Amino acid sequence: MAGTATAQPKADKKEPAPADGGEIEMGDPPPADGGDGGEIDMGAEPPPGDLAADLAAADAQATATKADEVKRTPLAWKDILVVVRKPFLKSGRTELFPIVGTTLNDNMVRHYTVGGQLSYYLTDVLAIGVEGHYYQPSFREPFDLVARQARRLPTVNTYTWSAALNFHYVPVYGKFAIFDKKLVTWEVAFTAGIGAGQSKVEERDKKFPGFTNLLIQPNVGASMRFFLTKWLTVSAGVRDYIFYDKFEPTDREMYSTAELAKENADGALINNVMFQLGVSFWLPTSFEYTTFR
Amino acid sequence: MNKQTFLGTALVLAAAVAPIVVDVGEALADRRHNSLGSDVAVRHRRLLVKNRFEFAPLFESTINADFRHIVGGGAKLEYHLGDMLSFGVVGVGATALDTGLVKKIEPTLEMVSDPNTREPSKDEFMTRLNKMPVHGAAYVSLTPWYGKLAAFGQAFVAFDFYFQAGVSFASLKSDCPTTVCSDTHPGVPDAMGNPPDQNPNNDPALNSGGRLGLYLGGGIHVFLNDFLALDLTVRDYAFTDNPSGADFNADLAVTNEDNRFMHHLFFGAGVSIMFPMTVKRTP
Repeated sequence: MAGTATAQPKADKKEPAPADGGEIEMGDPPPADGGDGGEIDMGAEPPPGDLAADLAAADAQATATKADEVKRTPLAWKDILVVVRKPFLKSGRTELFPIVGTTLNDNMVRHYTVGGQLSYYLTDVLAIGVEGHYYQPSFREPFDLVARQARRLPTVNTYTWSAALNFHYVPVYGKFAIFDKKLVTWEVAFTAGIGAGQSKVEERDKKFPGFTNLLIQPNVGASMRFFLTKWLTVSAGVRDYIFYDKFEPTDREMYSTAELAKENADGALINNVMFQLGVSFWLPTSFEYTTFR
Repeated sequence: MNKQTFLGTALVLAAAVAPIVVDVGEALADRRHNSLGSDVAVRHRRLLVKNRFEFAPLFESTINADFRHIVGGGAKLEYHLGDMLSFGVVGVGATALDTGLVKKIEPTLEMVSDPNTREPSKDEFMTRLNKMPVHGAAYVSLTPWYGKLAAFGQAFVAFDFYFQAGVSFASLKSDCPTTVCSDTHPGVPDAMGNPPDQNPNNDPALNSGGRLGLYLGGGIHVFLNDFLALDLTVRDYAFTDNPSGADFNADLAVTNEDNRFMHHLFFGAGVSIMFPMTVKRTP
């Protein structure tokens, strides 16, 4: 169901040949001569939800149309225009995206996150969504080493939660072959958003109370999405959460209360770069093409 | 022709034509399923790497280093035996830049160390941090994925993903002078039988010299044309190291036991030039 293959005699070829002479079409090439009239009925379509079957059906159609000519001469492949539809449509669908993540750029504290993202695709390339994360900190080797070797207690904040409103744009779409056998489609999405979060001061001396900060967090990022079925995708990406955080003052003994310490806190602009990985579930679980094959 | 004769003739014709129809149907069915179904995923594909020599000037920088960023330039030389398998070497000359952590610690240290608190002086802390003037690897590479992508519906480029494994090497260097690292018998009694000084801050850092270890990498070629590609790689050079040159295992002395197997993550960006510059195609 996913493609149309039409044979075009060399002498009658009016449309431009596929890019690179028969390589996989990545965009929406111009219709072949004959258009829909040249379509070959391959029987019943695969059941919804079977993306692999769709791709296989597209291959089978292309194969069936010109089988004899191919056996005569490999050059005949140049005469075949294979138009494979995008195997996955997102427009008007909702993405449920449970996410796990980890810090990439903090050598004192590594945060692990669990969270989720809910996005609605206005078009096939544009989406709006919300996300939320819960953070679990883990102190890394330098946190102890600095204390032990340099006799200095590091000033660090940990994060507890964050949430954001995001916009997603998908400018890159492609496919790749694994071991020259299996084709997988994928895309690259860019994300920008604005949100909020909370950080917590890790007291250097526990006799002084810590405090928390409410953070305004713009974020930017990029991710890759791999299509497995019509309702299931896998995504991996990097996100930079940018915010101005307040840390425990170095002369903390002068400020005995949390309020005083917060008023006299040292601030710094922070880039919290996270690697995120998750599996997306798409609703509705199937879709229909509105264009002809 | 009466009705009975017509029916009889029709039955005879039907019996004669039926095998022909069945044969045609079977033939059509055969045409719909041929050997191409089990063929390669992409035909008439440009062989962008097979039997080609790759030379890639590159820039490389550590990712999330603790004490010193290692930033430098070098080159990658690689020969692609086939479409998926290749072998090569990468070498980088680099300089070292203090991380934000070092910049925060150093101003707070005193000029002279305090033996009572075992707090190092500025010199004791800074001169023991090591650099990595040269590093590299020899590896085999597997390119299991290749494909093509469309950016903004306009630019169509080929790409491949590759994974590398091999042997890493590095030259490490720290500059602690004997006036600072003055302990001649760290952690052990001296020739006169005097006990160790229990002060690791004046011990030699023991984090200089050559290292051999493991190498892992993964990256992507984005082909700009038939012979030029953007080459982005994450590399892990793993070998024994003690970047701070200080006492790691808290035995109050700096010894070889303070060196441990560590991962040194780098991000590299380069431009690959493929030779010969023309490509062949698959059938």
